[in-house]
Amino acid sequence: MIRHIVHKEFTDVLRDGRFRWCSILVGSLLLISLGHGWVQARNTQQEHAAAQATAREHWETQGEKNPHSAAHYGIYAFKPRLALSFVDEGVDPYTGTSVWLEAHRQNDFMLRPAQDATAAQRIGALTAAQVLQHLVPLLIILLTFGTLAGERERGTLRQLLATGIGRRELAGGKALGVSSALALLLVPAALVGAAALVVASPGPAASPLARGTALAGVYLAYFATFLALSLAVSAWARSARTALVVLLAVWVVNGLVAPRVAVDLSKWLHPTPSAFEFARTVESEMATGTGDISRPDRAASTEHLLAEYGVERVEDLPINAVGVYLQESEEFGNRIFDRNYGALWDTFERQGVVHETLAVAAPLLAVRTLSMGLAGTDVEQHRHFANAAETYRRDLMRQMNGDMTENSLTGDFTYTAGAELWEAVPPLQYAAPPLGWVLGNRVLSLLVLGAWLAGAILAAVARVRRAEVT
Amino acid sequence: MQTAESRPGHTPLLEARRLSKDYGDTRALDSLDLTIAPGEVYCLLGPNGAGKTTTINLFLGFVAPSGGQALVSGLDVATHDRETKQRLAYIPEQVMLYRNLSGLENLEYFAALGGKGSLGRERLTEILVEAGLERDAVDRRVSEYSKGMRQKVGIAIAIAKEADALLLDEPTSGLDPKASNEFSALVERLRNRGVAVLMATHDLFRAKDTGTRVGIMRYGRLVTELSTDEIGHADLERIYLQHMHD
Repeated sequence: MIRHIVHKEFTDVLRDGRFRWCSILVGSLLLISLGHGWVQARNTQQEHAAAQATAREHWETQGEKNPHSAAHYGIYAFKPRLALSFVDEGVDPYTGTSVWLEAHRQNDFMLRPAQDATAAQRIGALTAAQVLQHLVPLLIILLTFGTLAGERERGTLRQLLATGIGRRELAGGKALGVSSALALLLVPAALVGAAALVVASPGPAASPLARGTALAGVYLAYFATFLALSLAVSAWARSARTALVVLLAVWVVNGLVAPRVAVDLSKWLHPTPSAFEFARTVESEMATGTGDISRPDRAASTEHLLAEYGVERVEDLPINAVGVYLQESEEFGNRIFDRNYGALWDTFERQGVVHETLAVAAPLLAVRTLSMGLAGTDVEQHRHFANAAETYRRDLMRQMNGDMTENSLTGDFTYTAGAELWEAVPPLQYAAPPLGWVLGNRVLSLLVLGAWLAGAILAAVARVRRAEVT
Repeated sequence: MQTAESRPGHTPLLEARRLSKDYGDTRALDSLDLTIAPGEVYCLLGPNGAGKTTTINLFLGFVAPSGGQALVSGLDVATHDRETKQRLAYIPEQVMLYRNLSGLENLEYFAALGGKGSLGRERLTEILVEAGLERDAVDRRVSEYSKGMRQKVGIAIAIAKEADALLLDEPTSGLDPKASNEFSALVERLRNRGVAVLMATHDLFRAKDTGTRVGIMRYGRLVTELSTDEIGHADLERIYLQHMHD
């Protein structure tokens, strides 16, 4: 029985000129955004690889110099773009993707496309994720708002139910019919995306197929939620027009109002300092220390070394006391950075929890969080890379200061190291977190999205069962 | 007057037993007792709000009765929704079809939902032609059909379903005389096949011409029942107007 309803709905939708034009529009935007995202991700990856190679070459060929000077010379690290970042570029345009690693400083990330973008560019930046999150639900609404309300209004619902077909069978068949028509649009796009992922992955692999499958699952759940919600409203509304107005209101709240409210509310609940304030605080604490983090005392450090080595003059120390002091300064700076950056990241995380919690009012917030997470472009994975880069910086500084400490004496300002030391520094090897780590961070969003799906299906079943014929 | 109950060997296909329906404080149907046997065409006459469409809605299970029972082949509609609907065909005042589908595709769809999915396109085309649709109109989209053509597809849906009983709600309203006559002829053919027909109508002429019995309703009550064999057109009109002015 359902087979006949599915077939009829599928045929009816395909012959509907509105669906054809909307599908062509949405499909074109989806394919263009996928293609544009893929090219951009590949170009970025290639540029990063080239820049990383150049930076490494500069590091290795910087010539002979004091290791601490080399630490100040520094090196760039580039955040790799994961394969799925072409679907959802997430926070990357706002956080930047490269960082300069140098002595005494934990620098902010650079190369933020959003910084250079004009207002018009920001509005016009269309990604596949945006098409999937905003336009496909709109298409679902346009296809389903009249599913039952329209049938009732036209009078066909009476004739249909007079045949003996059950309301739930009818609604189920209609849902499957609309889904089949949507599949004509989404399956080719998904295949193009999968082919791009498998054949010519634009970024390094971090279980891309598993992440891609999970991403597809998230979006399917999101679309199914909208489909069930649209059916429920269509069964409840007295007229197709009412159903359309209600569903468009839901779409506006979900896609336009809720994200804005989430941003403002999370900022209000968990404010973050401005970049200027943050830099000034770090600078101030670096200059004076804080209540529980004191600046290293060079005299005390020297006294400690003299006692440790049982000598009375610094000239008699077998190591360079300046190198030890410089490393102590690094450790001091690291504690200041950990304190300030840790607090900043924690605030971002708390803001993220607000977003995830508000998803109970708008499923888009859950889907957006999951989409960025699976694409590897969310704040958590940015933090994951930032931590890896900072760990690398600290190891590098320790290695430089250690070499100076071990291989020169206090007061010897002529000591230099060369290519052998620079080459001994391993390049940054960054491994993106596995899928389990990503999903583990996003349990709340998964639960909220699941609840939306289950709630929408239950609402649809309940409303369809009680749908009035006249 | 001969009723189904009075005919030996005839189980009523449609039966109302003290059937009532209230909408809030308004009694739309008041203790209707009615039986329609196979091969009978029962016409319900009455002004708007008399309870004709409510009676049909109760037989279709679209609304729940406030009292009494609506029975189809002896089965209570309230407790045997699907089984009773499978025995019924329904043609509303305006047969509404899917504009993007052809007449044949519409028939295919409704026939399949009515449990006749095995009927081939050839047989369905024959049914459409039998219902009075021109053969070259069968594959045209319904958006190009007139009301009369849509009513014919509605009849075809009823024929294809091979239902025991047919419920008609003002089926000839808005049809031209020729189309109305063709419609009456089709009902006559179905009646001769043993189908029980309940037709709600305003059209006294059609009721006398097509029906075997006529019931006049007012304010939700069946005020009189007549056999069309025993009265002429003028008698029916006189009796009807008499009841309307009481």
